Amino acid sequence: MEKQIRETAKELLAGKKVDVIIGYEQGTLPLQATPCFIDNVDDADKLVWNAFCSQNLAKYVHDVIHRHKESQVRVKPEERTKKIVGVVARGCTTRSLVIHLQERQYSRDEIVIIGVPCTGYVSKKKAAIRVDGAEILGSAVSGNDIVLTTAGGDTTAPLQELLSDSCLTCRFNNPIIADVTVGEPAPPMNVDAEYHDVVKFENLPDEERWAYFTKEMAKCMRCFACRNTCPSCYCKVCFAEQSQPNWVGVGVDDTDVQMFQLMRIFHMAGRCVDCGACVEVCPMGVDLRKFLKKLDKDGFELFQSRAGADMEKPPILSSFAMEDRQEFIYEPEEHA
Amino acid sequence: MTENKGQENWVPKIVGIVCNWCTYAGADLAGISRIQYPPNVRLIRVPCTGRINPFYVMKALQEGADGVLVSGCHPGECHYLTGNLSARRKFYMLSNFLSYIGLEKDRVMFTWCSAAEGERFAKVVKGVTERVKALGPASKLVKHL
Repeated sequence: MEKQIRETAKELLAGKKVDVIIGYEQGTLPLQATPCFIDNVDDADKLVWNAFCSQNLAKYVHDVIHRHKESQVRVKPEERTKKIVGVVARGCTTRSLVIHLQERQYSRDEIVIIGVPCTGYVSKKKAAIRVDGAEILGSAVSGNDIVLTTAGGDTTAPLQELLSDSCLTCRFNNPIIADVTVGEPAPPMNVDAEYHDVVKFENLPDEERWAYFTKEMAKCMRCFACRNTCPSCYCKVCFAEQSQPNWVGVGVDDTDVQMFQLMRIFHMAGRCVDCGACVEVCPMGVDLRKFLKKLDKDGFELFQSRAGADMEKPPILSSFAMEDRQEFIYEPEEHA
Repeated sequence: MTENKGQENWVPKIVGIVCNWCTYAGADLAGISRIQYPPNVRLIRVPCTGRINPFYVMKALQEGADGVLVSGCHPGECHYLTGNLSARRKFYMLSNFLSYIGLEKDRVMFTWCSAAEGERFAKVVKGVTERVKALGPASKLVKHL
């Protein structure tokens, strides 16, 4: 697959179909492939595809195109150029691209999608738990197993057990849209278990859910890594840094942190593709997915739509229907 | 808004975010018709429910509101034709999400109330106030200075 991606990238670059290709290269740290930007044929051999490609590259597509557009602002209209970006995209990345396209962030002819079927990526947190928190010095995948090297020796674990939670129940592991597809379609994941976590949480009493929410949010130190890695978080001015109005206080008050997370998570309603990038980059291990997945579940159950799953279907909060459900509307009691 | 917390004669403070064309006029009608209803709701007039950012609701709770009531025109009667329809989706998600994180369901309420429904407005305010009273002062998400 890796070879095919490199060949495709070379072909696109040589044929001047794209100006830059965004893909993954070998990272400097174990368990992590680094996003890279390839703009000439010779560098295309840097591209890799493995179980450590955890970032959602749609983020960089948006960044590159918008930076280029900004650079064109002072150029005469007739001399403006377009930057065509190629991107190595698995299922969730293509969903993010669909969201960008639906939100008119760029047009379809500005991107070339190299669709890659995906079998999931390794969660660094699960790996760390596997080796009891020891520093992982190296990692290698052989067949269905993964070998983690620490100072204390090698640990072998089945790859399946270390895959990220988002991947284990992934519904869209094959690209939704693609210009070139490489490899064979990936086998389906365990989609039936998709909402098990959410349903379990929903059935807890109020106080337990609140206790869990406050416990998780107390870990957050507002480094904004989740926002910075999220392809759906592309506002030029983020509410978290806005001072007029001042949505989020800068103090150390617990509720300020809760408010930031609550607002960011709710901003993902109908836009979160469950790529797991935020969970993967969170240095404090906040269980963001538990809350983001609820929005996905509600969006599907109430409005029969999953974020970025269909180019033709508008995002749930940008559309409406007269016959939408409204059980939540309060009807005053008659005796009152 | 936290000054009367912890007092024995606590009465709830409820923020009512209402649309200019229906519910605000409905409240006006309730007033000029001399219908009695609890004085616990502070109304904030917005052009349309579709204009209400869900952040307003969250922020009101953080600033110490014991309850939040959002009300606008009935579906199909929006002054801007479809503002309340997009609001309806937004607030369905919000209502579910806030109770998912463990907030009491009755803290945040949504309803429709037209300009002709002064009586309904009074009933809504009465009902909401009773429910929030039953819950007691808000403790979750509230910022204590």
